[in-house]
Amino acid sequence: MNSTVASYFAQSKEFQAVVVFFTDLFGFDATSFVSFLLFGAVATIIVGAMATIGGLGTYAERKISADLQMRHGPNRVGPYGLLQFLADGVKMIMKEDITPKAADSFIFLIAPLLCLVGVFATLAVIPYSSGFILSDLNVGIFYLVGMASLVGVGIFLGGYASNSKWAMLGGMRGASQIISYEIPVTLSILAIVLLAGGMSMGTLISSQGGMPHEWNLFHNPFAFIGFFVYFIAALAETNRAPFDLPEAESELVSGYHTEYTGMRFAFFALAEYIEVFVVCAVAVALFLGGYKVPFELGSGQIFIDKIGMDAMIAKNIGNFLEIGSFMTKTLALYYVVIWVRWSLPRLRVDQLMTLCWKYLTPIALFNLVGIAVWMWLFDGASLFTLIFHSTGSAGGH
Amino acid sequence: MFANTLFLLSAALTVGGAFAVLWSKNLMHACIYLLASFFGVAGLYAVIGADFLAATQMVVYAGGVVILMLFSVMLTGGSSEKINRFGLEKIPAMGNKKTLFAAGFASFVAALIVLKILAQFIKHYDATPMTANLPTVERIGVVLATDHILAFEISSVLLLGALIGAAVISRPRREKND
Amino acid sequence: MSTYNLDVYMPIVILIILALAIGLGSLLIGKLLRPSNPNKLKESAYECGEEPVGTAWANFNVRFYVIALIFIIFDVESALMFPVAAVFKQFNQVGAGGTLLVSVLLFISILLAGLVYCWKKGDLDWVKSFNTSTKLKDK
Repeated sequence: MNSTVASYFAQSKEFQAVVVFFTDLFGFDATSFVSFLLFGAVATIIVGAMATIGGLGTYAERKISADLQMRHGPNRVGPYGLLQFLADGVKMIMKEDITPKAADSFIFLIAPLLCLVGVFATLAVIPYSSGFILSDLNVGIFYLVGMASLVGVGIFLGGYASNSKWAMLGGMRGASQIISYEIPVTLSILAIVLLAGGMSMGTLISSQGGMPHEWNLFHNPFAFIGFFVYFIAALAETNRAPFDLPEAESELVSGYHTEYTGMRFAFFALAEYIEVFVVCAVAVALFLGGYKVPFELGSGQIFIDKIGMDAMIAKNIGNFLEIGSFMTKTLALYYVVIWVRWSLPRLRVDQLMTLCWKYLTPIALFNLVGIAVWMWLFDGASLFTLIFHSTGSAGGH
Repeated sequence: MFANTLFLLSAALTVGGAFAVLWSKNLMHACIYLLASFFGVAGLYAVIGADFLAATQMVVYAGGVVILMLFSVMLTGGSSEKINRFGLEKIPAMGNKKTLFAAGFASFVAALIVLKILAQFIKHYDATPMTANLPTVERIGVVLATDHILAFEISSVLLLGALIGAAVISRPRREKND
Repeated sequence: MSTYNLDVYMPIVILIILALAIGLGSLLIGKLLRPSNPNKLKESAYECGEEPVGTAWANFNVRFYVIALIFIIFDVESALMFPVAAVFKQFNQVGAGGTLLVSVLLFISILLAGLVYCWKKGDLDWVKSFNTSTKLKDK
């Protein structure tokens, strides 16, 4: 239970040596302190990596949109324009920070920070590999849902604080859209929790396998529909096109961040791009097998048995394979998100609400019931197992 | 060590947020302080090992109730005007020195009484070491699905009532105006 | 000192602190670098070049409030369902899945009744069919 990145590294000898060193230094058990240091280091690495991914997300967005529209996109800064996001970051810092006179300056500062806190806090339970998860909480996925809802508060407050009509409308739309679409998202997650029998990321992923037929996506037809319900609703929850009504530039200028300039605007953008990553990561963890690698390569057991490798090194290699598997799937979904944005036109507000309340929520409830019945009828067996076994027995006769 | 830090952080956030809610003269600011207070309460739940309760606190209160409050404040046009359209003063009347003194004194007395009652339990507190973070989710689930199944079902009736009530009171009464 | 192993919450605290530090830190660093010459026009709210009229903090439509209310109800429902869903597999393995399934179905169907009620009464419609719009429909 509750494995963390610290408990993973605690298996190595170096960790124990450091603990002994600090224990001697302080005169009390320093395991907690060393874990704290380790958590701090790993959290900084993850935040750095995520900021880079968020930055590269903006680059990818522009590059892919350019590709889809037969343009070149950014290509001046660095090779293929790869360093464009760094240049943008520098530009953002150098920009004047304007707070409108009519604005509520306290909330004007709090709102982007709230978005940032909500998104960063969800990173704690993203499972990159079996060992490399900051904290595998028992309530992992539920905690993530709760933290992600902070972004809605941040967006609303951002719209409110600006005291601009465009921003207010955008913030209002954004908050109501996010909370509406949280229901299909939560219900789809609930269905998978029912399927996997646990709420921690570890349990959710260990119920799946490395090969596609062992994924929850193909476990049964309801889970298959559930994935699309989750994905559509999650797109709406992150305010991505075709659901980007809160920042609809053709009607609301720029929506909730109309009055934001410089770094404060950058926080909103960064939060959005990292949230897209988080949403894709959750989709991968819940439906697409998470970090699982085919043929159980991830545990590293095969290296120990066949080549006689040191256990810790073998485990590390397995973990790197798992990170590769996880990131490949997540970034593929990230590409789909961008692809969708540049392919589909924006919805109207009433269509948005109709889609949520009259289509996605009933379908998600139906999926929940369907998966519960499936679990009861077939004893948790997947569709593939059922077909495989029936053909196997038919061949035997 | 970390447990104490977490406790102090959450307790400071809870109490500080609650005081700021009383002190603030701006409804929107009060909502943010309330959010901080809810966060602190979630942290306190986490400290006593009730991880599911902490997450629920976050999902339902920090995510839902705060948004609901922000929306309901917006129903009266935010906090730009001190008096709402019904002529009622929007500034909460709790935030002055007199009420805070009275409330502080009252809670001090109440705390003394509660401590006096609890003293016998605290004295005989059996400090059996708990094993590391028991999975509360499964225990809650089992209890909800076996012993308290009736409460589980009845809560859905309660939610149904709330849903219909919310729909009914918010329905525009157009016929009368026409 | 508590004997619960609370180390699992460390990363959350660290991440929240990091988020605040990055946010406030880059604003502070920016303060040294960025220009600051505000004027009246810059500090006014953007209203397509016109001078802003009044405040944006106006009374908002009640439908947002209804959405939030319905959201909270579903939120509480999912909060109640999560632990039960998490143990469903275990119950199934010991052969008690059927009874639990019935109770879960009952729970969901009661809520579904509420959703159907709201749907039928038109509370889920964003554009409420007022008299004007129904007249248009009739024509």
